[in-house]
Amino acid sequence: MDVINGLMQGFAVAMTPTALAMCFIGVLLGTVVGVLPGLGPPATIAMLLPLTFKMEPTGAMIMLAGIYYGAKYGGSTTSILLNVPGESASVVTCLDGYQMARNGRAGPALGISAIASFIAGTFGVVALMLVAPPLAKLSLAFSSPEYFALMVLGLAMVVLLAGESLTKAILAMLVGLWIASMGTDLFSATSRFTFGMTNLLGGIDFVVVAIGIFAVGEVMANMESSEPAEMLPLPKGLRNLMPTWQDMKDCRFAFVNGSVLGFLIGVLPGAGSTIASFLSYGVEKAVSKHPEKFGTGVIEGVAAPEGANNAETGGALVPLLTLGIPGSGTTAILLAALVLWGFKPGPLFIEESPAMFWGLVASMYIGNVMLLILNLPLVSVFAQLLKLPGYAMYPLILGVSMIGVYTASSSLFDLGLLTLFGLMGYAMRKLHFPTGPLVLGLVLGDGMEKALRQSLMMSQGDIAILWQRPIPAVLLAIAVLLLVVPLFKKFNAMRVQVIDQEA
Amino acid sequence: MKNNRRNKMMRYARIIAMALVSTFISGVACAQWKPSKPIDLVVHTGPGGGSDVLARSIAVMLEKEKLLPVRLQVVNKTGGNAAVAAAYLADKKGDTNTIGLITSVWIATPLTSSEAKVTLRDLTPIARLVLEPAVFAVRADSPFKTMHDFIEAARANPGKLKQSGGSLTSRDSIMRQALQQHTGTKWAFVSFQGGGERVAALLGGHVDMMIIEPQEAGEHIRAGKMRVLAQIAEKPLPNYPGVPTLKEAGYDVTVPPQIRAVVAPSGVPKEVVAYWEELFSKLHNTASWHKYVADNQLEEGFLTGAELPKSIDRIEDELRTQFQHAGVATVR
Repeated sequence: MDVINGLMQGFAVAMTPTALAMCFIGVLLGTVVGVLPGLGPPATIAMLLPLTFKMEPTGAMIMLAGIYYGAKYGGSTTSILLNVPGESASVVTCLDGYQMARNGRAGPALGISAIASFIAGTFGVVALMLVAPPLAKLSLAFSSPEYFALMVLGLAMVVLLAGESLTKAILAMLVGLWIASMGTDLFSATSRFTFGMTNLLGGIDFVVVAIGIFAVGEVMANMESSEPAEMLPLPKGLRNLMPTWQDMKDCRFAFVNGSVLGFLIGVLPGAGSTIASFLSYGVEKAVSKHPEKFGTGVIEGVAAPEGANNAETGGALVPLLTLGIPGSGTTAILLAALVLWGFKPGPLFIEESPAMFWGLVASMYIGNVMLLILNLPLVSVFAQLLKLPGYAMYPLILGVSMIGVYTASSSLFDLGLLTLFGLMGYAMRKLHFPTGPLVLGLVLGDGMEKALRQSLMMSQGDIAILWQRPIPAVLLAIAVLLLVVPLFKKFNAMRVQVIDQEA
Repeated sequence: MKNNRRNKMMRYARIIAMALVSTFISGVACAQWKPSKPIDLVVHTGPGGGSDVLARSIAVMLEKEKLLPVRLQVVNKTGGNAAVAAAYLADKKGDTNTIGLITSVWIATPLTSSEAKVTLRDLTPIARLVLEPAVFAVRADSPFKTMHDFIEAARANPGKLKQSGGSLTSRDSIMRQALQQHTGTKWAFVSFQGGGERVAALLGGHVDMMIIEPQEAGEHIRAGKMRVLAQIAEKPLPNYPGVPTLKEAGYDVTVPPQIRAVVAPSGVPKEVVAYWEELFSKLHNTASWHKYVADNQLEEGFLTGAELPKSIDRIEDELRTQFQHAGVATVR
């Protein structure tokens, strides 16, 4: 069979000492890049590009790809331990991961994160190998109306992130949507909510908002307590450092959910890993037997998004390698690298450069194994971080946040914004506004608005395009159900109450 | 008498001495300025974007040809359609270690955005490097075989056909406005943020046509997925022999070209500007540069000196006129 032959050829390429060394360097660098907030794979790969011209292209590609998916493994570390998202896709991991750390379960959180990443990452490579070309063609059917419906479905998940007050969640989401609209409009080239400042013409970076609201807000909220800050309980004994068999059983569905959903969303050019992790988290909560516990430190709430953002890397390589279309920032620079090395990414790429394609696929299997072996022992190392008392921990969080934001933007203005959003995060905590919906609105708002306007441009202003096409119709119907069903439940509960009272 | 002669000689001697001294001083000042710290090359796209890739290629070429004694590093300043990068460069007044790589969007954005206060008059143009041609592309299975087919179909169904492209001030949008005006037709424009999305929209059948760089289209054409109707280029593209230019196809429409040029901040001393001009002049004569231009299907368009600001002003005036005709509000 073609696939088996290709894979054998790929392993022959990927198992040479040079290729293995490149793979290891790549995944190690990727993990470091993922752990450090602010530094992301696109910038790192861009910086290493000149070095790669002196190397053999297949080895170089193996290394750069290693950085790409390695970063997704590392991103969860600071999310879980410090509530600082290491990467935009790790924001969702903060929701339950940090709570697990506060409950003394940092070890299992880190561990399940690595395991879910491994399972989903491997699934992504298998799927890339088996179904890439036909899936790529299907993905072309996905355009703006379909994206809009997908994002509406994502926003409907706010219902699931709401916690006690749905009103407060929706308000937070609207603020997130507003922040997303700041900057320069793509279609009319006018500026929106820039308050006359050139610095806001590019909009507000997601990293600044997320780190501000989550990490800095949390530190501020903890500052005001008059008791001496308690240390986060340290897991005692090796057994408590790893997820238990019960944990693994609980996460069975989360592994599948993260892998499949993450991969499918990755295939769509334009949808990112942040959306994949949010949707995966939402689906996990929707099918869970104890949805109300999400947000307090549920292990599936860590496994699902972590798996999703890893499977997404496999998915994002599908349009890149089968159509030559980059779906995200990192794949754009990987495309540029391939072109600079003299390859021709496009529909004929797999046929013409089988050594590169299959070598890459084989190296991804190896890379995922390397990452699992690297990350699991590191769990105990990182968990020691929790030994720090509060007066050392909180300055550390603040320092990491500021360095992360400054690394990403080299702008003092952004540090000012970080402080502003930190204050906003503090205020939200005091007033019991959930922070998840704000981030959700911010992530989805931009893409959703663009998708809606593009759809209306395609249909000359006829909104019926959204339900005349099959996929958006289905997705929007699910979104409506998601929003309406809880209302029914509430009415039902009220009805039952009234009946009880009358009886 | 004797005193007069001596005074005259003293005077001559003084004059000669001063002439020698001033030559010596100006000689020292005119000694080649060389950069001693790493140079920052500012681009307005993120990693992987058009300017970013060119900038990194330039860095590699300069190193390979040993033209620059220090390292060249790329600084990404994204946002606001180049407004953020332009403002950053304007802040670096007098800085001899920063230069910028610009495209025509740096000229277009200040015309339409009031917050984008920095125009190329506030910076020091060094050299124009290349011009970017483009082609009109449709899907291989579309009914349009020539440009004429497309325009006539647009005439018969006003507003029904769709083109995917970038923002309102991008070249694809301006070309569409100019062509619509010239032929009296109308078709819709759908903006997408990234090149990948635009191509996906075309290949997936959601739009009918797009204007795309010849290098980007190459692979899709080879795979039989796209067809090219016309080319937008000053000189005919070598890789597209059978494809007519817009003028040859019967539509004599010109829009301001898409340029890529190097600029420096204002207030930079003359020797430094001379150094940059010479550096890029040497670069564009190297074999690596010629290969890069050929591989990426760009057009050589090296221009430096007094003609360059005039050419930029011309582009700005043409863009302003185009925007006003298209009904886009101009603020400068």
